[in-house]
Amino acid sequence: MSKLSKKIALVGPFGVGKTSLFRRFIDDAFSEDYKSTLGVQIQKKVIQMDNGTALSMILWDTEGHEEISQSRSSYLLGSHAFIYVFDLTRIDTYKNINEQIDFLKKNYPNVLIKIIGNKLDTVALKRVKKSLEEHNVNYDCLTSAKTGENVAELFVEIAVDLTN
Amino acid sequence: MEQNERLKLLKKILLADTKEVTDSLIADVEKLSSTLNEPLELSQKVDPLIDKKIKKLIDDMPQKLSPVITSALKAEIKNSQDAVVEALFPIIGKMIKKYIANEIKLLNERINKQLKKAFSFKNFFRSKFGKKDIANEIIASSNEANVLQIFVIEKASGLLVAKYAKEEYDTMDDDLIAGMLTAIKSFVEDAFKLGGQNLETISYELYTLHIQSFHNYYVTAVVNGTYTNEFKDILEDKILDFAEKGISKEEINNSEVFSSRLKIYFSEQIV
Repeated sequence: MSKLSKKIALVGPFGVGKTSLFRRFIDDAFSEDYKSTLGVQIQKKVIQMDNGTALSMILWDTEGHEEISQSRSSYLLGSHAFIYVFDLTRIDTYKNINEQIDFLKKNYPNVLIKIIGNKLDTVALKRVKKSLEEHNVNYDCLTSAKTGENVAELFVEIAVDLTN
Repeated sequence: MEQNERLKLLKKILLADTKEVTDSLIADVEKLSSTLNEPLELSQKVDPLIDKKIKKLIDDMPQKLSPVITSALKAEIKNSQDAVVEALFPIIGKMIKKYIANEIKLLNERINKQLKKAFSFKNFFRSKFGKKDIANEIIASSNEANVLQIFVIEKASGLLVAKYAKEEYDTMDDDLIAGMLTAIKSFVEDAFKLGGQNLETISYELYTLHIQSFHNYYVTAVVNGTYTNEFKDILEDKILDFAEKGISKEEINNSEVFSSRLKIYFSEQIV
């Protein structure tokens, strides 16, 4: 059985639910209390892949910044994947998303990027999809850290992409 | 003059002063009433007095309360000596242990310095005949520095490349240690804008994390005991030596081989 370690950084603005996604995936837990992340917190989850590889996903939950360029570069360096999280209930977290993604692509080339809209449980899907379309947001997945909807699927998809 | 007219005149003379006084009183009462009914005006009048009282209360508080608190604490401590000892013992014990370790380290370095300075010929003579520095040996042996764990970590990602730990000192998840060490290291180096300088040590209680950076990797050695400058030099040389001879370029990417090489190299006492 081969072992593999990959660094995955959760990035995005304040209060979009990065830590909640992180906790949902690691501990399968959710809390309504909002505590802003200071610096970074790191956790690990090992996923057993079909090809026999044990993938250690080292997750870096970074503090939120309105602009990705304000994030501490040392927390992002060496990442194998970025999960860019925005809040489906706050247009300001996704109206300039393409600039943020371009910044990541330019500064961290060849790193897998997943764009995630979180708080799916609090929005009307049809209306939010329309808004995303209007703002030209090419998301990869819509999740709810609260209900767990699509969270495990997201991380499994990343694991598959990183091991292929 | 008629009697009625005289009476009127008398009234006028007698009541003239009283009327003035009454008018003045009415005016004062009206002013007072308007002040009382107007919060802003009342506040302007009363606030300075309250502030003064509060200030006096604050000034007097330590003087008035401290004897009461002190005597209450004294009585409480006297009545529950066991509980106090139980609460303080771990803290005081650790402090004493840390203090002694630190003092030994200082004493060790001081004696070494003195011996080198005062008995250089003697030292030379002794070393020539294979004898060791006795003072150093006696003192340092009481709290010898000891490498408990070695981590080799990829600088950018914070991923663990290889690791060696003495069996009894195996710790929590190594990947998390590697990640957090990298986060701390990069935070310190970024936050204090040290101009390309690297974080070299982290100390906690009786342990020291010795951090040595290379181009793509850094090595962290967990050391307990007296981490002297002399030990630091030796450990740095040993790690450099390992990087040069202990592992080949091909083996760097093989975590298991890398870890076994580390074990061979660092399992024995360094000094």
